Amino acid sequence: MHFWNPYLETLARKELNKIELSYFRTILSYAKERSILYGEKLKNIDPGAIMTFDDIKKIPLTEKEELRAYQDMDPYPYGGILGCNIEEVTTFRQTSGTTGKPVYVPETYESWQWRIEAWCHILYMAGFRPHHRVFLPFVYNVYVAFWEAHYASEKVGCELVPGGGLDTRGRIHKILEIKANAMMNTPTYGLHIAEEARNMGIDPASFGIERMLCAGEPMSSATRIRLEELFRCHVFDHIGGTEPCAWAGMCEVKDGMHIIEPFFLVEILDRETLQKEVEEGEMGIAVVTPLGRRSFPLIRFNTKDLVIKGKETCSCGRSSRKIKEVVGRTDDLRKIRGVLFSPKTVEEVIRHEFPEVVEYEIVVERKGIMDEITIRTEVAPDFNGKELDQVKARLRENLKVKTNLSFHVQMEPPGSLPRYTLKAKRFKDKRENDKND
Amino acid sequence: MIEAMRKEIEMIEESAERLRRLAQDNPGIQKNAEAILSFVYLLKFVTPVGVIDQLKDNQQN
Repeated sequence: MHFWNPYLETLARKELNKIELSYFRTILSYAKERSILYGEKLKNIDPGAIMTFDDIKKIPLTEKEELRAYQDMDPYPYGGILGCNIEEVTTFRQTSGTTGKPVYVPETYESWQWRIEAWCHILYMAGFRPHHRVFLPFVYNVYVAFWEAHYASEKVGCELVPGGGLDTRGRIHKILEIKANAMMNTPTYGLHIAEEARNMGIDPASFGIERMLCAGEPMSSATRIRLEELFRCHVFDHIGGTEPCAWAGMCEVKDGMHIIEPFFLVEILDRETLQKEVEEGEMGIAVVTPLGRRSFPLIRFNTKDLVIKGKETCSCGRSSRKIKEVVGRTDDLRKIRGVLFSPKTVEEVIRHEFPEVVEYEIVVERKGIMDEITIRTEVAPDFNGKELDQVKARLRENLKVKTNLSFHVQMEPPGSLPRYTLKAKRFKDKRENDKND
Repeated sequence: MIEAMRKEIEMIEESAERLRRLAQDNPGIQKNAEAILSFVYLLKFVTPVGVIDQLKDNQQN
């Protein structure tokens, strides 16, 4: 079977639109009635009057800062974002707190099952099936992503192996011991596992991994292809977050990601005005409304994810809308010497053109009145002095072409740069008073 | 086909509601009935038959 839910995944556009509008009105009405945040925020909005997608644009966006502010009230710890009685909450999760105070997310048994169902679409699209023994190389903790992955794998019928509590070498031994044939990990950690396996004298292609689903950070197509080459397997991407859930995933065609409709209403809005929907091929900010999760209703959530809007058709046969590419987070975009810079461009250059670079870090500093950007790189240990000079020169040149910025390239000894298991922090902006100005 | 599935889901819902009421003094059975109702909510979400029918009616009118 090609589809997880053939009925929903092949519905005509017109029918999907109708369903999503109807579901939007329902969740809007529910949120207004049950959540303190939306009771106040939507006091002048009549959910019954929302008849078109243009009407939806009149409803204010929800920002993460609002969620934090409304959590300061009772009932602890969820406060005014709660959409049910606190006695109904069965699981606590939270955001990573990368951009400030974490947001605490309440899940009921019902909302958790809803979330898992959306995730099953992502896994099934990526070809995960009951014959897969899926290795999850993480300690799950209070973070949602790998719990979702765990339960969705079970529901799809895979055999799930929780790989927390081991170091990377221990995980490699476990993957080989139990003959895992599928994995889920951050792209960074996938590369790290491959590097560590090679250090152990093991070719990662010999693991026998057939499918890998990545999460947690924007993955360039060059990184995805690099992982496919290293593990000799199919690698897929998806996008989501703790608050809005995982809302889009990649199908076998591997050309962008399908929005999981009608679970989510996703708008891709012009990043300057946050009002107008962008055209196909244009970059915008993803604004997401989970249409059936009631424990924590979320209306038009500004994810701050920068994405490029994709086609409305796909040769896989699914009728859902697509995003072409995840560019990064608005928080990661910087102006350096007047040039708009996204760290993902560097990732693309390194993974696509410099397989000899095993790790890197970007550092921006202000020297006097000038911004300076340095890339610290670690190259495979078998490269000698002259080859290193060539890599250095080529890297400087290619980065200049792709970013319009002149980089200082600094070579570091093998093993000196940090390795990451979850979200990589390869971009360090040390300038004072810099906030995207 | 989807309409037939939806009917079955609604029958399960009615039955699970009755079971929940009957099991008021039996948390073990009551909680399991509530779990069934959580899945009923999900199953209704993925079979939006009423919404589609409404669309067809509008097109005919």
